[in-house]
Amino acid sequence: MTDDERDDESASSPAKRDAVKREADRRGDGRRVAERSTTKVRAAIRAELEKDEVAADAETEQVDAPAEPETVIELDHVSLAFESPILEDVSLVACKGETICIVGESGTGKSTALKLILRLLVPDKGRVNILGQDITGLSFEEALKVRQRMGMVFQGAALFDSMSVFENIAYPLREHTELDEDEIEARVREKLQFVDLEPDRVMEQLPSELSGGMRKRVGIARGMADNPEIMLYDEPTSGLDPLTTGTITRLILKLQRELNVTSIVVSHDIRSVFRMATRVAVLHDRRIAFFGTPEDMAASDDTYLRDFLGGN
Amino acid sequence: MPSLTERLANVTKSKLRTVQEYFSLAGRAIGFIFVRPFYMQDFIQQMDEIGVKSLGIVLLTGFFTGMVLALQSSVQLKTFGATMYIGRLVSASMIRELGPVLAGLMVAGRVGSGIAAQIGSMRVTEQIDALNTLGTDPIKKLVTPRVLAALVMMPILTIINDFVGICGGNLISSLLVGIPSGLYWRTVWEQIASDGFTLHFIPNDFVQGITKPFVFGGVIAISACYFGLNTTGGTEGVGVATTRTVVLASVLILILDYFLTQILLTVLGT
Repeated sequence: MTDDERDDESASSPAKRDAVKREADRRGDGRRVAERSTTKVRAAIRAELEKDEVAADAETEQVDAPAEPETVIELDHVSLAFESPILEDVSLVACKGETICIVGESGTGKSTALKLILRLLVPDKGRVNILGQDITGLSFEEALKVRQRMGMVFQGAALFDSMSVFENIAYPLREHTELDEDEIEARVREKLQFVDLEPDRVMEQLPSELSGGMRKRVGIARGMADNPEIMLYDEPTSGLDPLTTGTITRLILKLQRELNVTSIVVSHDIRSVFRMATRVAVLHDRRIAFFGTPEDMAASDDTYLRDFLGGN
Repeated sequence: MPSLTERLANVTKSKLRTVQEYFSLAGRAIGFIFVRPFYMQDFIQQMDEIGVKSLGIVLLTGFFTGMVLALQSSVQLKTFGATMYIGRLVSASMIRELGPVLAGLMVAGRVGSGIAAQIGSMRVTEQIDALNTLGTDPIKKLVTPRVLAALVMMPILTIINDFVGICGGNLISSLLVGIPSGLYWRTVWEQIASDGFTLHFIPNDFVQGITKPFVFGGVIAISACYFGLNTTGGTEGVGVATTRTVVLASVLILILDYFLTQILLTVLGT
């Protein structure tokens, strides 16, 4: 028996009809409360966007958008399955200087998308183009060279715990550049200052001696040490308090505005996403359910997006 | 629900894949020894970890094993009035078998578990992925220095273990059995010389005694790195990787010891 049939049968007696009416009113109230909640969230997001636009204008001069944006990252109809499908027909484009945020429920393949971009995974179908090069057919050694042009910030920072902060940030420089020790130290200091850390205070510390927020900032400094063209962030604000979350979000914005780095950010933190994204990709049911600007996302009438934003 | 045959086929495939991955890792790790860049600092650090820091446990094991060998053999040899041959027995047992196997088992327990835990922790905290994203091959950076250090240090540890064991045997035979030290060391040398020489100057006993730990060192380091790199399931997974390393390395040491003995006896003609 379906719910409708059950409702028809129960409506046969007056007492039951009253009960059904009360239940319908209650459901209606519930829907109105949910709608009010979603409206509130969307209003808050719009306010956040407006606030950010003002802040961005104050912080930096307006840069004219290039006539034809250069495509830096492209996922072209990518599918990937392990024992079960992870991603199906996912397409995504990031142009130079853009910050694309990938959001979605847990287990929808957001981090997998990052691993595809890094060529840590190879898609079963489709292509991944990085800086105009199809990386799907590259050998392991060739892929290492492509990765040198990217910086990655991991969820738990993934700092090498046997090395000091200095050695962590210096690592990619020692591996891939001909810089001498003085130049490396100067670069490490510069990057630490960029992420608002005092070089003299933290350089000799071990990762275990740092707070979660400091570890994330050192992770960002290490990711950008070799001046990459692409930065990838996996849950950069997870597990942080609201103030530190704000600091990390501002850092990502600063990197985009000052260095014109193309960024892909995987995040659950909608507030941060709306602050830093030029475009948002929503992964749902292994596919891209939405790909557009945060404004379009906030204004969308799509039920899933409304539920996702409202947390219903 | 898959049938019994299907499940059996899946298990077999999975085991064969594991063996293939194990040998692939070994091949790549050894191949990288000859490819730049060389992580010399990591290699030296690993020689310290694997060799120098294992010295204590190897000295202790070797010394007491030599002592107990002398003690047990003295009881048996006394029946035939042949206690003067204690030195021969202790040296043959230590150099050919007990030295390499015991040093191998000790290093598998101490170093193998340590390597698996370290690399496993790096895997679960995404440090291995970080190495990859920073353009470094984790096998070259982590596995090759450890394998090379184990290949170099295991024979050295075994030589020390053999020597200390023979010294332990000397102590017991002179203190408890009454064999003079001069006689003991002469019988030790007689034993070493009696099995012939390779290239006219390397005693065949030494060839056996050095070949085995060389292979065991490789087995310990590769097993530890393999399980470490394939760690899944957080900290619990690190524990599982450590246990599997010690079990596999110990079992492989004992199995390979038999086959190596068989091969070496045939090749050396002793």
